[in-house]
Amino acid sequence: MFDIILKNITQRKLRTGLTIFGIALGIFAVIVMGGMSEHFNQTFDRSISLTADKIRVFPEIGFGGGDLNESKAREVKRVTGVADAYGLLQASLDPESLGFFGGDAVIGVQPEKFPSLLRDTKLTEGRFLTFGDGYRTVIGSSVAREFNLKTGDEIQIKSKSSLRTSSIAHARNFTVVGVLEYTGSFFDNSVLIPLKTAQKFYERGDTVSFILAVPDQGVDAEDLSKRIELNVEKIKTFSPEQLRKQIEQSLVVFTLITISAAVLAAIIGGLSVMNTMLMSVSERTKEFGLMKALGAETRDILFMTMGESAIMGVLGGIFGIIGGGALVYYLNDYLASRGTILFSVTPRLLVISIVFSTLLGIISGLYPAYRAAKMSPMEALRYE
Amino acid sequence: MNEPILRVRDLSKTYMQGKIPVHALSDVSFDVQKGEFLSIVGPSGSGKSTFLSMIGLLDKPTSGSVFIDGVEVTKATDSEAPVIRRKKIGFVFQHFNLIPTLSALENVDIAMRFARVPKSRRRERAIDLLTQMGLRDRMNHKPSELSGGEQQRVAIARAMANNPAIILADEPTGEVDTKTRDMIVELLRGLSEKGQTILVVTHDIAVSAKTRRIITMRDGMIESDRMIS
Ligand SMILES: Nc1ncnc2c1ncn2[C@@H]1O[C@H](COP(=O)(O)OP(=O)(O)O)[C@@H](O)[C@H]1O
Ligand SMILES: [Mg+2]
Repeated sequence: MFDIILKNITQRKLRTGLTIFGIALGIFAVIVMGGMSEHFNQTFDRSISLTADKIRVFPEIGFGGGDLNESKAREVKRVTGVADAYGLLQASLDPESLGFFGGDAVIGVQPEKFPSLLRDTKLTEGRFLTFGDGYRTVIGSSVAREFNLKTGDEIQIKSKSSLRTSSIAHARNFTVVGVLEYTGSFFDNSVLIPLKTAQKFYERGDTVSFILAVPDQGVDAEDLSKRIELNVEKIKTFSPEQLRKQIEQSLVVFTLITISAAVLAAIIGGLSVMNTMLMSVSERTKEFGLMKALGAETRDILFMTMGESAIMGVLGGIFGIIGGGALVYYLNDYLASRGTILFSVTPRLLVISIVFSTLLGIISGLYPAYRAAKMSPMEALRYE
Repeated sequence: MNEPILRVRDLSKTYMQGKIPVHALSDVSFDVQKGEFLSIVGPSGSGKSTFLSMIGLLDKPTSGSVFIDGVEVTKATDSEAPVIRRKKIGFVFQHFNLIPTLSALENVDIAMRFARVPKSRRRERAIDLLTQMGLRDRMNHKPSELSGGEQQRVAIARAMANNPAIILADEPTGEVDTKTRDMIVELLRGLSEKGQTILVVTHDIAVSAKTRRIITMRDGMIESDRMIS
């Protein structure tokens, strides 16, 4: 039967082509949107797994607002169950350009806390920061790629004091001493500098943006998170689980975009398949009547018509994947030169796309196939 | 006498044209023996096509029954009907006989596909039948590339494909020239001489004259039924 299906499909090339194009367009959207969503999911997954063991401590939002003294880290550390606690200062690398999807970040951290912060992340070149390093930096892989930096090169960091009304921005060059390997997390877009230098550079005194608390072995992070909040004043904690939940919430938006793209694809592609199939079925009324007179069973006719729409779905899926894949490939290539990557076409996404387009074909072919199959052979053969 | 291959009893069909009933067929009864070559003649609208479509299970009668090989086919359910159509019946129509997208060979082949004949045997049989019909060189042509007579011969080959009990031909020569007509009638006669039962609906006397029994219909009833010696 398969050869007959193919014959029929190739019989009406333009119409079939347009229908396949319609599905391909939908799947194209699924690949691009889905690729973006997959990429964010992956990045957040990896970022979370890199920091999953730590509790974040933020200043309590209040009148004093926003300032967290480094001394709080010592208080946090005193809470039973906390192995270590240290402050981080986080700022935007270039405060003037609002980063597209986060952008690059400067992170001030005490050099001796590197192993704790980065876990087992390795360097592709150079060394980590050590005590006494001043205007030196270890950069993430994407930053290195974006600015084409090697150890020994210099990177300019700008600051813009948000606390003062005079918005004097100043800039300084930092020497790159090390480059991190690719982690797939936000560290790829980080510029790590010594905390002391950061505080001076950003005129933050001895404040930090947040504190990371590392639980002792075997201590439950969720419990500890609550305990820290009870024992230390004027702070709010963010447990790994809370962080995960919050990120998942922000990812919902991307998931929704993907789903909308898919739904749109389903509606447009599905309607066009249905339209094409209804046309071809009604044109072939006599043909189906004749087949029935020859002893074709209902399922033979269902198979032939739905096979046709399924093939259109599969082809649309394949072309959509090729088109979407090509666009994503070139966009990623272009974006990589600017330090980011935006899309991940995962195997899962490919499987979903092809299954989705095939189902789309089959489901939209259901009604036309039913119309073809219920045709009375007599009626079909009767009139000229 | 043997059990007739076709037994028709009190067959009636009433169509509704809007609210007006049209009695296309009224209480028709007769028997056909195996190997008979018979024609059904009569004016247009006398119910000939209706009659063939009842025998071929293309439509259901209002009342009465049809037995083929002793089986009451008019009782067949929707799922049994296709099996009877492809095993017992071979159809040849006046118009639209072939599937336009398929070659002559594939048109014969498809009837056997529906009958779930394995591929190897299908091809052999299709070639054999088309050769018998004198179409050996035309097998791979599409219907649009074949003459009317060639198309009808393909249709006859296809009707024969599953060794049906009866071949039903509805005005098979209605749209061909006299030379082709004679050729088609000769082909059908040749088949009947080999034992194939054939019912031909025609209003061409030249066709019915070649058959061995003529049933004349009028207003949905049998007006006469005579053997030709
Ligand atoms: N589907 C139908 N609906 C209504 N009337 C029909 C239908 N089919 C046939 N008829 C009527 O039944 C009568 C017999 O038609 P038909 O069997 O086609 O005659 P023939 O083949 O002898 O010309 C005609 O009057 C025709 O108009
Ligand atoms: Mg007729």
